Amino acid sequence: MQPPEDHPHVPGPSLWPVGFAVGAVVLMVGIIISWWVAGLGAVIALAFAFLWVRDLTAGTELTHAPDVEPERAADGPAAPGPAATSASVTEERFPRSKFLELSTLGLGGVIGGIVTAPAVGFMIAPAFLKQGSKDHDIGPLTDYPEGKYVVATFMSDPAQGEVSRRTAYVRYNGPLNGLPSFTVISNHCAHLGCPVQPNGPLEESQKKQIRDVTLIPTVSIAGFGCPCHGGQYDTEGNRTSGPPVRALDRYSFSIRNGHLFLGHPFSVSHVDGTGAGAKIHKWTLAFPGEPVSGLESWLYPIQPPH
Amino acid sequence: MATQKLTPKEQVQEAILYPIDWLEERSGLVGGIKYFLFRRVPGDINWFQTLGSATLTAFIVQALTGSILAMYYKPDPQNAYSSIQHITNDVFAGWLVRGMHRWGASVFIILMFMHMGRVFLFGAYKYPRELNWIIGVLLLTMGLAEGFTGYLLPWDQTAYWATVVGINLNGTAPFLGPFISQFLQGGTYIDDGTIARFYAIHMLMIPGAIIALIVLHLYLVIRLGVTSPPWSKEAAGTGSMLKPSRNGRRGLTRPGPRRKG
Amino acid sequence: MASERLIERKRVFHQYKEDVKERGKPFYPFAMLHDTIMSLVVVSVITGLAIVWKYTTPGDHHTIDPGWLGRLYDAPADPGTINFVPRPDWYFYFLFYLLRIFKWPETVVIGTVGLPTVLLIILLAIPFIDVRPERRLLRRPVAIVASILVVISMGVLTYKGATAKEALGSEIVGHVPSWAAKEGFTGNKQAIAGAKIFAVAGCLNCHTYLGDGGTNLGAPDLSAEGAKNKGIAFQIAHLKCPACVNSGSPMPSFAGLGDARLKQIAAFLEASKGPKK
Repeated sequence: MQPPEDHPHVPGPSLWPVGFAVGAVVLMVGIIISWWVAGLGAVIALAFAFLWVRDLTAGTELTHAPDVEPERAADGPAAPGPAATSASVTEERFPRSKFLELSTLGLGGVIGGIVTAPAVGFMIAPAFLKQGSKDHDIGPLTDYPEGKYVVATFMSDPAQGEVSRRTAYVRYNGPLNGLPSFTVISNHCAHLGCPVQPNGPLEESQKKQIRDVTLIPTVSIAGFGCPCHGGQYDTEGNRTSGPPVRALDRYSFSIRNGHLFLGHPFSVSHVDGTGAGAKIHKWTLAFPGEPVSGLESWLYPIQPPH
Repeated sequence: MATQKLTPKEQVQEAILYPIDWLEERSGLVGGIKYFLFRRVPGDINWFQTLGSATLTAFIVQALTGSILAMYYKPDPQNAYSSIQHITNDVFAGWLVRGMHRWGASVFIILMFMHMGRVFLFGAYKYPRELNWIIGVLLLTMGLAEGFTGYLLPWDQTAYWATVVGINLNGTAPFLGPFISQFLQGGTYIDDGTIARFYAIHMLMIPGAIIALIVLHLYLVIRLGVTSPPWSKEAAGTGSMLKPSRNGRRGLTRPGPRRKG
Repeated sequence: MASERLIERKRVFHQYKEDVKERGKPFYPFAMLHDTIMSLVVVSVITGLAIVWKYTTPGDHHTIDPGWLGRLYDAPADPGTINFVPRPDWYFYFLFYLLRIFKWPETVVIGTVGLPTVLLIILLAIPFIDVRPERRLLRRPVAIVASILVVISMGVLTYKGATAKEALGSEIVGHVPSWAAKEGFTGNKQAIAGAKIFAVAGCLNCHTYLGDGGTNLGAPDLSAEGAKNKGIAFQIAHLKCPACVNSGSPMPSFAGLGDARLKQIAAFLEASKGPKK
């Protein structure tokens, strides 16, 4: 519907202005950083300005308008009149449109990959890398009377603060082969991780606080109980009744300069015997609710790095 | 014609209708809204069929109150609890907004269940609406996931330990469970990054998915139409309602030379 | 046959579309009025709950005391706690109670992921299980029975989850004087000492006593244990090795508490002759 006379007033497409713009940018950046760059920018800008002006005065014959026209006609919604011609054009162009289709999909896939892969990795990987824990000092050995459990609350990573607070039930079993032996039980229920409570009275009056560590001795306890779903454990952490799938987790420990250090926690299927001579069936740390031995442990064949 | 003098009333009408026409001409949005509003529904639809839009309202309340709470809430273990106290005790109407978000969650979930019950009892999940039922079930699970991830954010004892149990529940899933747990916690235990993870999931990821699914859900409702109650004599209801006049209330835009039909 | 059914349902849907177009009513304002009224109700209920939540909290709302609708917030999270009983939000109570029902280690996975996954799959599959066009309720007996069963079981599980009690030794030990008054052993020092140990030693994780304690694992109520007159010696023997006295008992041994304390607990149990009216 446009009046055809309008056409000659429109300048043909040209790339020179882009070069001119780049030159102008270099010129301006140059003014800030060095005169030498500014000079270069000025030369680029001038050269492209010359080409651009020449292009404008030379008319539109150099443009690729003829190439573009038929394609537009074929792409458009096709007026009913020239249906036959547009059909033949489409047929002729088919391999090209196929190529465009595939490359669009391919490029889309590449974009998706470039964006998604790092994002998904960013979301998932940190949860699995660099896990593990440092040893933490939970006080001098003299704070742990023989044969009695002490409720030790400490920060497993003081840099993280309260969120890393953990509780362990620590019992000194007397010496074993000349080295002190400890039973260190985690308070996370092996059913679904609820906080396990000692089944017996605590000596709140003898509470001790050293840095981030709080120690409360127990009077004597008959085992441990979970208030959530009723799991019960004996004094060695073996399940005695209720739904827990294994014994309570334990911490590895070491002794340095007369202090007790707790290391990495591990899972236990069950414990034979009691005290220093007990045989602990150790497994790598598993989440609560996952059996570590027996047929059902096959449901959890691979453990993520803890 | 156009140069005729307009009465003041016509001038006002012109002033109101002009922007509406302007928008319609450029976007077709007004026509879309008109289609949505004036689409026909069976003549005997029932009060129980308002449960879906009630659920949507509850979701909108959640989205609004949630975005406002985000202005004061601090998703890290050192500050989360105190920011909740601050919102509840100090911020103007903070207790109200937080209360609406907290109880809106319960109402949202009750309404989802009631809406699902209605669809089930009315047999409205049958051909050709099967897909919409599936989208609805997905929305239900997303809603429960919102409830789970939002429960941690106050960072009090209840929040923390309920989340521990919830994460370990996921952890007992065969094969993948341990990985799901560790992904949710961002590590072996709930640590100083977990709350921000839950916050991002609760604030951005699941709500985004819910909004997308709601749009699909509504699109299918509009496309397939609303079912009449199962006791209707005919598929489209008894049609006992008055027949509204076709030319009567249909015009949000005036018929003008710019629009066709 | 099947294809005839497919053609028929297509025709019915087409008919429905035509009928609605012909004789339906416009969504706005007829249906939308109802929707709007319902939405107003929803928003009012939500706001009302928020207001009740705040204004029924005892004192000013800076406390963490529960009001009618529960605490505004609990004590701050303590990952190292040993005296806290976690509860989920109410809409997970059914799952919470389900986990108490599956009290054998071998069945944990059924309660945690098994049943919920099966339920979800059934929900997703409903439109493909029930492909008949019939929508009238009275002609869908399976649907009626299924929905009644689901509502009842979810209701019962949620109710049981909501009313399930837990024992928190540090809280329950404060109930000992009222136990002594009700059971009439206020003067009995042995029994009072025993009651205090009983309260904190985890007994109430499974047993109940005058309304305190959880009912896990089907353990009996002990409010009137003394009325059976089993004797101190029996009680001590039973506490030391429940399964020896009462074969098959799932109760763990409490021998670790030491003879003196077991004697106090036994005295307490024997003094519990049931609440006096």
